[in-house]
Amino acid sequence: MKTLWAEMSAAVEKQKKITDSIIIKMTRSNYRNKINKIRVPEFIGSFLCMAGAALIVFNFRQLTTWYLAACGIVACLVLVLLSFLSVMAIRSLQRINITDNNYRESLLAYAKGRLQFVRIQKINFCLAALLMVTILPVIGELINGQDVFKKPGVWLWYAVLFPFFYWVSAWVLHKYLKIINDAETILKELGNDG
Amino acid sequence: MQNTDAFVALIKENQGLIYKVTKLYTNSKEDAEDLYQDIVYQLWKSLGTFRNESKISTWIYRIALNASITHLRKEKRKGSQLAVTEELLNKEDTKDNLQEEQFETMYAYLKKLNEVEKGIIFLYLEGKSYDEIAAITGFTASNVGTRLSRIKQKISADIKK
Repeated sequence: MKTLWAEMSAAVEKQKKITDSIIIKMTRSNYRNKINKIRVPEFIGSFLCMAGAALIVFNFRQLTTWYLAACGIVACLVLVLLSFLSVMAIRSLQRINITDNNYRESLLAYAKGRLQFVRIQKINFCLAALLMVTILPVIGELINGQDVFKKPGVWLWYAVLFPFFYWVSAWVLHKYLKIINDAETILKELGNDG
Repeated sequence: MQNTDAFVALIKENQGLIYKVTKLYTNSKEDAEDLYQDIVYQLWKSLGTFRNESKISTWIYRIALNASITHLRKEKRKGSQLAVTEELLNKEDTKDNLQEEQFETMYAYLKKLNEVEKGIIFLYLEGKSYDEIAAITGFTASNVGTRLSRIKQKISADIKK
């Protein structure tokens, strides 16, 4: 294999084609990509949650019954928490110090970051379920001026949405299993010895 | 202000290395382009912190491998990278199809390894000594030896399957 690798390396060397201008472009454009890729979704997610929470706070007086007020408070707290967690989730994936870390340290940070990310996502799902329950009456009151608890059809919405939400959650959590397994394998490998 | 000419020369000198890392750590052309750019960008960003305490090649390997780890966690990008595919990621200049197939098979076996093993075997194949691998990876030299023999056994078993 080592001989084959050497042959491949020689073939790669023959193929050198990169130009000065492309290298310089890469030092610029990648920075822009990073901004687009990470900061914008993080910002939009947090902004939407905070905007939702602000909407509830500013219209809280419209929630005239104790149960609508309770839903409003819970939904507001969940939205603030979701906003905070979305920043936390991104940060858990950004802790690798590429310049100073060695490979082992980077792998450790990567694996721990992945596990933390999954933990946060699980909390997010629980909060999202709670939000779904509480936001519906609040929106009904604030947008349509209707107390959905007094409308018989509202429970049908929950009956439809909950199985769907359960299915989505199960699918996403199953997807995270691979991430957890991979991260744990790396931690186990690194934990064996120095 | 960093010395752009020196940086360009450094990348040109080491573009083969970057190519090999990107190929080992990605599974698609799009991802490979993305990682290639990321490595160049990280090298550019980190150039000011390079102290002559270690060899420049050791430093490049370290940054390239670290960038590959960070790349693992990113979602696929959606068409915002530079359109430089042809220039960056031309295939190896192979003698024939058979050789090209051999290279692909070799990569396929290497890609089956986990991230810890992949980094170590890559440096070994690049002709690095145990001490150099230890300096880049943070494992002790004796641990590198132990791990390498395990990796070789794993690959052999996989080939015999």
